[in-house]
Amino acid sequence: MRRSTRLAALLTAGILSLAVTACGSDNNKASDPGASNAPSSNINVGMAYDVGGRGDQSFNDSAAAGLDQAVKEFGMKPSESEATDGEAETAREERLRTFADNGFDPIIAVGFAYADAVKKVSAEYPELHFAIIDDASLADVPNVASLVFAEEQGSFLVGAAAALKTKTDHVGFIGGVETPLIQKFQAGYAAGVAAVNPDIKVDVTYLTQVPDFSGFGDPAKGKTAAQGMYDAGADIVYHAAGGSGGGVFEAAKEAGGLAIGVDSDQYETADPSVKDVIMTSMLKNVNVAVYKYLAEVNGGTFPAGVTTYDLKVDGVGYSTSGGKIDDIVPDLDAFKQQIIDGTIVVPTTP
Amino acid sequence: MSSSAPAPAPEDQRSIAVRLRGIGKRFPGVIANDDVNIDVKRGTIHAIVGENGAGKSTLMKILYGVQPPDSGTIEINGEVVTLSSPADAIRAGVGMVFQHFMLADNFTVLENVVLGAEKLHGVGAAARAEIMRISDAYGLDVEPDRLVEELGVGARQRVEILKVLFRGARIIILDEPTAVLVPHEVDELFTNLRGLKEEGLSVIFISHKLDEVLSVAEEITVIRRGTTVKTVDPAGVTARQLAELMVGSELPSPSTETSTVTDEVLLSVQHLGLPSPEGRPLLNDISFDIHRGEILGIAGVEGNGQAELVEAIMGMRHGVTGSVRLSGTDLSHVSTRDRRESGIGYIPEDRQRHGLLLDSPLWENRILGHQGRPPSVKHGLIDKRGARTDTQRIIEQYDVRTPGPDVLARALSGGNQQKLIVGREMSGDPILLIASHPTRGVDVGAQAAIWDHIKDARRKGLAVLLISADLDELIGLSDRIEVILRGRLVGAFDPGDVTPEQLGSAMTGAGDPA
Amino acid sequence: MSPRATKFLLGIAAPVLALVTAFAITSLVLIAAGDPAGEVWGQILSVPETRKLTNIINNATVLYLSGLAVAIGFRMNLFNIGVDGQYRVGAFVAAVVAGEAWLPGYLNTLLAVAAAILCGAAWAGIAGLLRATRGVSEVISTIMLNFIATSLVAFFLRKAAVRVEGSNSLGTKVIPEGSRIPSFSIGSGPGTEVYGFLFVAIFAGFAFWFVLNKTRFGFDLRATGQSTTAAVANGISVKKMTILAMLISGGVAGLVGLPILFGSAYSYGSTFQSGLGFAGIAIALLGRNNPIGIAIGALLFSFLNEQSNALQILVGVSPDIVAITQGVIVLTVVISYEIVRRYGVRLEQQHVAQALASEAPPPPGGPSSAEPEEVRA
Repeated sequence: MRRSTRLAALLTAGILSLAVTACGSDNNKASDPGASNAPSSNINVGMAYDVGGRGDQSFNDSAAAGLDQAVKEFGMKPSESEATDGEAETAREERLRTFADNGFDPIIAVGFAYADAVKKVSAEYPELHFAIIDDASLADVPNVASLVFAEEQGSFLVGAAAALKTKTDHVGFIGGVETPLIQKFQAGYAAGVAAVNPDIKVDVTYLTQVPDFSGFGDPAKGKTAAQGMYDAGADIVYHAAGGSGGGVFEAAKEAGGLAIGVDSDQYETADPSVKDVIMTSMLKNVNVAVYKYLAEVNGGTFPAGVTTYDLKVDGVGYSTSGGKIDDIVPDLDAFKQQIIDGTIVVPTTP
Repeated sequence: MSSSAPAPAPEDQRSIAVRLRGIGKRFPGVIANDDVNIDVKRGTIHAIVGENGAGKSTLMKILYGVQPPDSGTIEINGEVVTLSSPADAIRAGVGMVFQHFMLADNFTVLENVVLGAEKLHGVGAAARAEIMRISDAYGLDVEPDRLVEELGVGARQRVEILKVLFRGARIIILDEPTAVLVPHEVDELFTNLRGLKEEGLSVIFISHKLDEVLSVAEEITVIRRGTTVKTVDPAGVTARQLAELMVGSELPSPSTETSTVTDEVLLSVQHLGLPSPEGRPLLNDISFDIHRGEILGIAGVEGNGQAELVEAIMGMRHGVTGSVRLSGTDLSHVSTRDRRESGIGYIPEDRQRHGLLLDSPLWENRILGHQGRPPSVKHGLIDKRGARTDTQRIIEQYDVRTPGPDVLARALSGGNQQKLIVGREMSGDPILLIASHPTRGVDVGAQAAIWDHIKDARRKGLAVLLISADLDELIGLSDRIEVILRGRLVGAFDPGDVTPEQLGSAMTGAGDPA
Repeated sequence: MSPRATKFLLGIAAPVLALVTAFAITSLVLIAAGDPAGEVWGQILSVPETRKLTNIINNATVLYLSGLAVAIGFRMNLFNIGVDGQYRVGAFVAAVVAGEAWLPGYLNTLLAVAAAILCGAAWAGIAGLLRATRGVSEVISTIMLNFIATSLVAFFLRKAAVRVEGSNSLGTKVIPEGSRIPSFSIGSGPGTEVYGFLFVAIFAGFAFWFVLNKTRFGFDLRATGQSTTAAVANGISVKKMTILAMLISGGVAGLVGLPILFGSAYSYGSTFQSGLGFAGIAIALLGRNNPIGIAIGALLFSFLNEQSNALQILVGVSPDIVAITQGVIVLTVVISYEIVRRYGVRLEQQHVAQALASEAPPPPGGPSSAEPEEVRA
């Protein structure tokens, strides 16, 4: 068993390093409304994040921002919990049940991975209210609100922006993990590029495949993939890869290219050293969705059914911070109007 | 036991290099050393002999600072010293050459020597000069820039000795140094040791090869059951008397009784060959027969194809040409398991690596190699009860010293492990017994028992193939001796009228095969 | 003390030592981070309610199979790091087969289970074959095969996936109800359904014990694991054993995902539990490759996972803290087993020496010992 001793040491080192990095994110608990004149409310909000949780500088953080805003404005009492990588389905269910058993209502599940768990637990607790982000399969469940986004529409606009700005007629797309959700980003982006100039070449790469979700949190992978695209002649790369995006920006800076951020206005949130390569960002306003949902709850009604956050309600969009696309805003707004009008129907699958 | 030399008279303090007085070392429940008293005179070769487990190695570990003694004193050059680590021992001028060499194969001799002693003479020209000085002074004939992996066993041993001298040792302990050497290398080693002695160094020589001890040592201390029995002068003692001192009882000899050889050929090996990827074949056209009731001894310098011959007969080698027939059945193309099950008992050369599962109980070791046969199996399943009962039988019949069949093989001494293997291989009704170095590294008591069992096998009508480096053993037990050299059988001898010297020269290809 | 009692105490000593150390180290980490160690342990060590107990048993079932698969390799000194890939391939194939429902009812289930075993075995067999014929380290090849398995399954999953309207998950066709393995309830209310596959896992554990300890094949496997040289010399074909051991290990690995598949998920999708193979390595080490030990290890890991889930909500401490506990348990278990093993060997050697010392002095050699001839000097 001497050989296994060595292996165990290796394994433990692995587990520990994983745990230590993961622990980093639980320092910033939900901001407590410490101000003395803060409004108060007896609504307890349970927030179940996807892997990465608060602090992922992406999707989860965006949801957290909506929660924070609601907490600040309405004085709700929040509690949060995040998923661990590769956890069992029962772990997700138990997370929701723990909220349910401890007086939390509503309970917000961040991410489509919760779909089955929400379906099951919402049936067990019909008197409580649930919301799920990025999933519309529970449209008919009376105590579940489904908050979904038209990512393809926002992606269409940044695709058009890329097409208008590219000098090499060659752009790229990097997806974090190849899931139907991220494919929506790709489809919209490609459609936007083609709408401007169908001859522009679009490189597409996904960092990992399901069930390996590390593509959403591995800047090194993002950087390598982006470098490849810049080397091949692309000058603008759009990433929908969560935390891996940082690597895409670094590669853009080193290659002298441009990059497009995702989910939030990454010009504001990314590392200052790379912000000048961020041409624009595709905004997926999860925070808006969460905030609006909680605002309705605060008003006394629990929404149910599917709410789609699209261009029409500014649930998705693009950012202009940094001023790199100021000159093409009129063109983009024209596309936006066409999409809202339905003249352009953006595909959701590549 | 009449010829014991007088106990050493009180000597001038300065002439005693090492004086051990009343050394005791006990481990819980076991007394490893008890009241050990030894005086090693400066400029002499002092041998320490004893059975395996008699406490020699514990004693040497104490002297080399690996373990502290529980009682007693160590004096080196007249001063009482406390040796709490090998570093202390080296500072006190004590060096040790272990049985298993501790050299890095892909380093040169120079690099191996200076490794860990860089402070003494650096790693460059000064170190090289020092190595050459030592090599010349003691006739070690070391080439500093050769890679160790290119060196033979004898040369490696000289590098080990040089390493010790390089670190300034004046007292050198050699643990079983001849176990790995062939006869002419042994002679060279002894020449080297005498050279060291003449330069005023003291050599402590641990061995159980009594003839060698008698030929090289000035004084011999016998250890039995952890304590010093006697210090004798080799001039006045025979090997047999020495051996009897070691075991405390009368001894057998390996010689066989009247011939039991019959006409019936049991093992017939014809034109056995084993090509080697690099040049000279490992086995080259080997043919011999062994008859019922016959012991065929194979003599040879280690590495001349003995191991390959055994493995080829056992079916453990790929690419073997020629045929092996056992009792008329052609075994040339069947698996090792089928060969064993058709009646081959096998006592492997390296019992710990090939013969035993060290971390399994004895009863599981009884099953090893006999998985397909009763008493190991019943109704196609492993029969623990049957195997245990049969192990108990072997323990009793073959005098395996163990509390029972459930102890791990690792807990047994080498001799007892070997007796277990012999007992196992003699079970299952073999018709051929292959015994490869059956008494190597076992103590005198077990050696005698193993010889008896081999003789017994012959009496029962088995064919026995005996490979040994111990020429006395070969001459004593065999009905016929074949000499193997570079993968070929180069000469047959009648053990009745051959001397070890004649065999030795045939083995090295020097002599005229009788 | 009788040797048997000593052996038992030594066996218990190692895991207890490991657990205590792991708890102490975890507490230190908690205290250093300024987290309430008392509350954390209060939550983790609380008595689980029936629903959680169900989850513990269900997840332990899955971990147990993974641990067994790894342990089969370990017993032969083969490191099947690829259980992760093997179970994924197995679960995916089973999901597709069961989802297609070519056969009715339980015949469909049987076919799917057989397919999972075969595919897991084949996947591991590649590594076995490479090891046996080309000497490729199974550690390297199984790690590589994990990557390939991930991509391969992802590729085919997209082909086989059935999109549910509004869902962002990818999943295979749902297994028809008649082919699901029924659960049994250990309490009232929802979430107290224990996988019926539990019995398959228990049977696998028994089979593991029986094959290893009672059959010639198991003996050959253990012998090869202890000493390949001794195995060869005693007529065991190491190549054959290597391939067979990998095949069996992979076959069991193919079962790992099935309790989930047939007990709760009913399809293989992007949210199917991952990382089970690696957990199995830790559990096999913890359980000392012994079927009972692995069961205890699986229950312990499952217990810690389940009990820590609510930590963040109730105590405000990340459940990742138990990853530290689990890691330290594995490390300390291995260290303390090694310490206890060495102590045990020493004890036994002393025991042997003592037993022999108390015997009468050895009788002189055999029958022919009287022959008065000198050994040549």
